[in-house]
Amino acid sequence: MSSKNPRERQMLESIYSMIALVFILVTCVDLCDAATVVDVYRLIQYDISGVPFGSRFATLNHHAGSLHFAPGADLSRTVLVIPVRELNITFVKEYISQRKPLGGLLFLLPQMFNFGNREAATEGKYQIREKELMKTVLAELERLLIHANIPYPVYFAFEDDDIDAVLADVKRSDVSGQPATATTGGYKLVVSAPEPKKIVSPSITNIQGWLPGLKADGDPNQLPTIAIVASYDTFGTAPLHVLFSLLYSNPKTRGRYNLLFGLTSGGPYNYNGTHKWLRSFDQRQRESIDYAICLNSIGSWDNELWIHVSKPPENAFIKQIFEGFSTVAEELGFEVGLKHKKINISNPRVAWEHEQFSKLRVTAATLSELSAAPELLESTGGLSDSRHFINETAIVRSIKLVAESIARHIYGRQGKNIQIFADNTSLAVNSPYIRSWLDLLSKTPRVAPFLSKNDPFVTALKKELEDHTREVNVHHEVLDGMFTLYDSTKAKLNIYQVASVTFDLLLLLVLGSYLIILFTFLVITTRGLDDLISLFRRPPSRKVKTA
Amino acid sequence: MTLFHFFNCAILTFGPHAVYYSATPLSEYDTLGTSVKAALVYLGTALVKLVCLATFLKVSENDSFDPYQELLHALIGFIDVAGLYFALTQLTHRNISQNHKFQAVGLGWAFADSVLHRLAPLWVGSRGLEFTWDYILQGLEANANLVFSISLAALGSLMWLRKNKPKTLIPIIYACAGIVATMPSITSYLRRGLGWHFPKVVGFELFTSLMMAFISLQLFSACQRPSS
Repeated sequence: MSSKNPRERQMLESIYSMIALVFILVTCVDLCDAATVVDVYRLIQYDISGVPFGSRFATLNHHAGSLHFAPGADLSRTVLVIPVRELNITFVKEYISQRKPLGGLLFLLPQMFNFGNREAATEGKYQIREKELMKTVLAELERLLIHANIPYPVYFAFEDDDIDAVLADVKRSDVSGQPATATTGGYKLVVSAPEPKKIVSPSITNIQGWLPGLKADGDPNQLPTIAIVASYDTFGTAPLHVLFSLLYSNPKTRGRYNLLFGLTSGGPYNYNGTHKWLRSFDQRQRESIDYAICLNSIGSWDNELWIHVSKPPENAFIKQIFEGFSTVAEELGFEVGLKHKKINISNPRVAWEHEQFSKLRVTAATLSELSAAPELLESTGGLSDSRHFINETAIVRSIKLVAESIARHIYGRQGKNIQIFADNTSLAVNSPYIRSWLDLLSKTPRVAPFLSKNDPFVTALKKELEDHTREVNVHHEVLDGMFTLYDSTKAKLNIYQVASVTFDLLLLLVLGSYLIILFTFLVITTRGLDDLISLFRRPPSRKVKTA
Repeated sequence: MTLFHFFNCAILTFGPHAVYYSATPLSEYDTLGTSVKAALVYLGTALVKLVCLATFLKVSENDSFDPYQELLHALIGFIDVAGLYFALTQLTHRNISQNHKFQAVGLGWAFADSVLHRLAPLWVGSRGLEFTWDYILQGLEANANLVFSISLAALGSLMWLRKNKPKTLIPIIYACAGIVATMPSITSYLRRGLGWHFPKVVGFELFTSLMMAFISLQLFSACQRPSS
């Protein structure tokens, strides 16, 4: 017995270690069991002065369906998977305006809109015309969705092989009208995202760079200032920038003006950021701003740009600015038009960025390719604005225009035919530089409230400004006003292939009968048929015996 | 819903063991103790095999069939046979006939095998939303394994517990025992070397198990005739 004890102890120890091993093996079993996992992006959810818009829910747990569903089918527990290429906008409009019950919507965007995936995006698979068509469809869809209050989740995803296969399967089973079985489609789309919460005090960040001018004998602040402003954020994604090239092309030869570059945030939200930024200047600084040029949508124009002002065109300043710009434009081979729009003080809506300046009595103008002011949240850069639709040469020309006109004004060379930033000189506009920044901008989504204070994009902008200007200040403000935004924008969609309920019940039936047959077989072979019969007759026979 | 699927696969995997126990005279003679002891011996054997595998086998990166490794695998598989021998001969059982002894031992052996190799994947995997046929196939494999274990136990008891066997049958007995013992190696060869898919392998296993059961039954009854 004593010789067994150490052996027994050893055995116990080995058993413990084996159990531990089993546990380790168990944890190594792959716990992710979805057929596909896809990144999806939620439609933005926001309130304007309390009125809700956008998609109000985030979690999704329904079966997938396609557009080929049987008419009159109940879709309240189905997610419609719609590729944008086959989009029928009237159908979607009908659904949303009539508030028909739906489990959810999943839109599939072609890969070319995928800003993160450059190889697919630059594929020449699509003709220009298709691209344009897609752009208009997408813009319309976006406008429709953004201005509607949708009581179910709406997600966007990019097409890829897995999702295409799933969609094909779903379509096939919808068309044939078969209920989903275990092996032929029956997909469940699950997004487990937290309930969207309001973003409390979303921060917007304004960055400014300051290039002081050559001061004669006094405070540089007494020199007049020209401000060049653009907003870098979007309500979707959009590329807008030119400022850096301006920075780059302004070397150490300083004129008798200070140059102030402002990158403002809160553009779509009635230029809230610009508003706050201007308020942060004191009176003297503001008065020293000679004029400000705001830039908006200068990426894809052909041969006409507009300068929008709010002061009447007969104003001397405005005339001066306009003449300067149009002379340069003529030399460069295109036209610049002047449009005047009065500020409507009672309307809280701010149409152009320069209106914020004008409200504080700073002469300002906006340079844009749009001839009319965009509506609220329109043209603020959505899904349809992507790298493809930006004309690099257009941007280069815009840069040249602004740079030349401002430089001539600074150095007092107006009206004279001298090119300060001539091509092929060291001061020329640097194309690869522009291209790389455009790529970066088109890849990063820049919705302001979702950019944290230390977002790498903001720091990249700041660093770039620091490289080329003297003083850089970053202001963090809180977005206030009519807009409230909700979080939970990006999630992972799990696609599971599920078996229907009937399959499981059928399986249970089959297994039950198998076990019963096995039981009878074994009883018959090992104990004999009599025993089997006696199994069912035992109680009565006992009663007979006792009686 | 998916817990339902787990339940289905569980009764497919473990149901036959319970059915076998209750249907045959095993339940009448209360041989549960024997089965439990056999299960424990199986656990011990599995541990020893694990240690040997860890010591002697090197991990291959790809899933191909390496003859040398498989040979080593098969040799280690004979530890199984040794364990069965131990369970059949060395353990003290209550006085039960040989007929029932090998059945009880085989049953306990197969049950332990199913629990160790199939319960964990079943619990973790089949409760998810995603549907695969794997767990049903695994259950069928467990059934085949049950038949194999009982056949092996029968042949084992013939080899070691029965003293007077007809001379002509002895080599057949040993040959069959050898085949059943090396079954794991054969299936892994089929899966990796020939590239068979899981359903095909399971079908093969079921078929061979029935064949083996039939053969061992014949052998057993043939050996039983002289004594009866």
